[in-house]
Amino acid sequence: MSIAVPHGTPALATTSPVPPEPAPAPVNYLNVSHTIWSWLFTVDHKRIGLLYLGSISVFFIIGGIFAALVRMNLMSPNGAILTEDAYNRAFTAHGVMMLFFFLIPAVPGVMGNFFIPLMIGAKDLAFPKLNLASWYVFMIGAAFSGWAVLVGGIDTGWTLYPPYSSRSSQSNILPGVMGVFISGFSSIMTGLNIMVTIHKMRAPGMTWGRLPLFVWSLYGTSLIQLLATPVVAVTLLLLMVEKAAGIGIFDPTIGGDPILFQHMFWFYSHPAVYIMILPGMGVVSEILTCFSRKNIFGYHAVAWSSMGIAVVGFLLWAHHMFVAGISFYAALLFSLLSMLVAVPSAIKVFNWTATLYRGSITFHAPMILALGFLVLFVVGGLTGLFLATLGTDIHLHDTYFVVAHFHFVMVGGMVIAYMAGLHFWWPKMTGRMYSDWWSRVAAIIMIVGFFLTFVPQFIMGYHGAPRRYPNYPQEFQIYNVLSTAGSSVLGLGYLLPGIYLPLSLFFGKKATANPWSATGLEWITPSPPTVHNFDATPVVVCGPYEYAIGVDQMGRGLPEPPGPGGSDGPTGPSGPMKKETEVVG
Amino acid sequence: MADPTTPATTNDPHGIRKDVDSPGQLFVVFATVLGLALVNVFLSQSIGPTKFTLPLQLAIGSVQAGLVGYYFMHLRQGDKVVILTALSSLFWMGILFVLFMGDYMTRHLVVSQ
Amino acid sequence: MSASTHSPVLKHHFDDLGQQHASERLGIWMFLATEVLFFGGIFGAYTVYRLWYPSEFVLASSHLAWKFATINTVFLITSSLTITLGIRAAKLGDRSALLRYLLITAALGTAFMVVKGFEYKADLHERYVPGPMFQAEYAEAVKPIATMTHAQAEAYFAADATKSHPDHEPWARDLALRNHEGSTAAPADPGKIQLFLCFYYIMTGIHGIHIIVGIGCILWLVWEAWRGTIPPENYSTVEVVSLYWHLVDAIWLFLMPLLYLAGIGYGHH
Repeated sequence: MSIAVPHGTPALATTSPVPPEPAPAPVNYLNVSHTIWSWLFTVDHKRIGLLYLGSISVFFIIGGIFAALVRMNLMSPNGAILTEDAYNRAFTAHGVMMLFFFLIPAVPGVMGNFFIPLMIGAKDLAFPKLNLASWYVFMIGAAFSGWAVLVGGIDTGWTLYPPYSSRSSQSNILPGVMGVFISGFSSIMTGLNIMVTIHKMRAPGMTWGRLPLFVWSLYGTSLIQLLATPVVAVTLLLLMVEKAAGIGIFDPTIGGDPILFQHMFWFYSHPAVYIMILPGMGVVSEILTCFSRKNIFGYHAVAWSSMGIAVVGFLLWAHHMFVAGISFYAALLFSLLSMLVAVPSAIKVFNWTATLYRGSITFHAPMILALGFLVLFVVGGLTGLFLATLGTDIHLHDTYFVVAHFHFVMVGGMVIAYMAGLHFWWPKMTGRMYSDWWSRVAAIIMIVGFFLTFVPQFIMGYHGAPRRYPNYPQEFQIYNVLSTAGSSVLGLGYLLPGIYLPLSLFFGKKATANPWSATGLEWITPSPPTVHNFDATPVVVCGPYEYAIGVDQMGRGLPEPPGPGGSDGPTGPSGPMKKETEVVG
Repeated sequence: MADPTTPATTNDPHGIRKDVDSPGQLFVVFATVLGLALVNVFLSQSIGPTKFTLPLQLAIGSVQAGLVGYYFMHLRQGDKVVILTALSSLFWMGILFVLFMGDYMTRHLVVSQ
Repeated sequence: MSASTHSPVLKHHFDDLGQQHASERLGIWMFLATEVLFFGGIFGAYTVYRLWYPSEFVLASSHLAWKFATINTVFLITSSLTITLGIRAAKLGDRSALLRYLLITAALGTAFMVVKGFEYKADLHERYVPGPMFQAEYAEAVKPIATMTHAQAEAYFAADATKSHPDHEPWARDLALRNHEGSTAAPADPGKIQLFLCFYYIMTGIHGIHIIVGIGCILWLVWEAWRGTIPPENYSTVEVVSLYWHLVDAIWLFLMPLLYLAGIGYGHH
């Protein structure tokens, strides 16, 4: 199966010259206009991507502050700094901000908006105004929820289970839920836009079999956003009605079933974890193949496993409810189905590993982070199997084991992948190179800090420490202190890019059009790209990862890849790989 | 413009007129959907709430919705991907129903043990 | 790309009108898929409770105003026809016919909402609203018959029904009698009746909001058509709104049996 390489392309390897470096465009999407209105009313997908980048960075900081509060409080068995009520509000705020206002919009909102049109050779997304509207709707939702969690807070946990949320809780449920409800529409708008764009706006020659894997993964993500988000929208609407009217369909006093809320909530919220992780997998697919200078192994397997995850991801939500009172037979079925999703995930991991095999690997920051993703995702994924197993889940349910598991996937997987993507595409987005040395250091600190934070939680959870409690027995203190100490290392790791990335805008070296010598269409445009992306519609003749023969998707040669010792100096392998890099996949 | 439904390529560079609905067909569909609605009401009223009433009502509703989708919503002339979108929405709703019912219809089996 | 395909309607990021129309159609269909799942969630919840409490749902449904709903069905199906004729007019470039059909559609939608308003008003007048109103009315009906025999209770309610201003609402008489000690019918939990009513108000309410949004979109189309910005090449604008309108219509075709026809023949048997 060498579908990724159409017949005749090997000849290009010897004949196609490296194209001359495109002259930096005097007018690009950043400097075409400078007024605040030109940003607030822009319909340029690249600027909207940056609007998302700015806003989610703020929400990440807010969510991170709440995480720090929670970890600080857990330093002592009876709560170090917060009252018990304030602790509930802090972990809820952390969950709401991180999930709904950082993880879900992160990669689709920033990199999806920015790079999907560039990667498929389109001038813009199919519906530019809808795209801008999605950002405004997102900000309105964030304003509601942000106000709710900052002023008074919500004390139910991000899952908002009734009857606690509908009857007992006296906290800011209504504005908080309203914010999540509203931001869901933004998610739908983004997903719809990306999906229609991928279907209808591809450049000539950009067949489905030549789409970069990032595009495939966002296609799967958008599918989930479209089909799952409306269900949580109606669920939250029902919850708001119940809260406001004092009577509703989840109310057990009139025969309602609170577990029905959990079903409807997780029908979205379980697939939503694939909204969060799938784009990360796409980012990593791009980076691993680029920095090992090899074609991706098993292109079709990786592409279709994205779709497999998107579909199978809908069939297993009730593993969140094994101990909630669902039917025994349903629990059995959901346990089995939950294990099924490990198959496409494993297919991806094996293919990535095979991609690395005998590659010419260079350890730049995106690659270090992508490799970190690979390791952390495997740990997160495999511990998921423990939780999918009915018997062990009874023991591990609602313990720190679960907390550690999903943080390995969501933070170790997704946040690390987001950081990897940001470092990979930063030169294209801003036209500047960041500090190579500092970025490598930050990447290593993030990965190490992450391990230090969450490995103790696995141990503590396995010994039965329940999540969400502000107090714990003395014997768990050592793990909590270790975890808190680790989280400060992790925090430092996140702080560093917050410093050197903005500094690079002013002091960074100017980036060339293709600093990583990558093959995608986005690297054909100057850095930063011009307003309409391409002067002429590109014509695609190759698969997306022809590193073996060293041509980009238009069949042109690649520039010198960055050397292993730094981004300056041609110390890397020259031209097409001389080593054994057979076209695999 | 004597006969506007004839595909006139010279006047119609974008091929917009080639798929114009025939009013007669629209009226027939309209009459059928409306007739089925009234049949649904009178049939439900005369047989009352038996265990066959709901399936019958939903079957009539599905035929109506199918006619609306096929003729009024132009699935008849739809691209493959549009038809796929329409079918996927029903398929995913099916997932929701089947797995919901998988829990609710087997719950009592545990209680009785 | 021949010069003839250029059109002021074509947006800058599309190559040709065919691509633009196909994208718009696919986009709205994907949005409709989200709408199907949105209503699918609440239909799923309804199914759960219908399965659990069939007799209460039938009883509760039998006191809804199905005649209003039938009139509304006629309005909506007719409006689906008129908006489809509107697309035809747009494709043929017949602006006055387009305006006429759009206005008729908007009028039918408005008529639907007016009837809906009367229906809600009647429900409110009957105090057939879940929560304190329902509970108070039901308690009022239960209280006088608490010490009566079943035959006495039947006679009491029959007398009440003939009054020009009855003390009790029909549904409350029905429910109180059914739950009376001497009744041979299976008792009906008033809580579960209220559960049905929650569905009734939420489902018709959400549907009504969709109708209002649809009327707004159609009035916007009227404005655009009146300004002359819907030439035949831009017919897809009308089609996008019409697809939404048809979906709202199709959802009503299911709300009708689930809410109004569930108990329509109740009492005849």
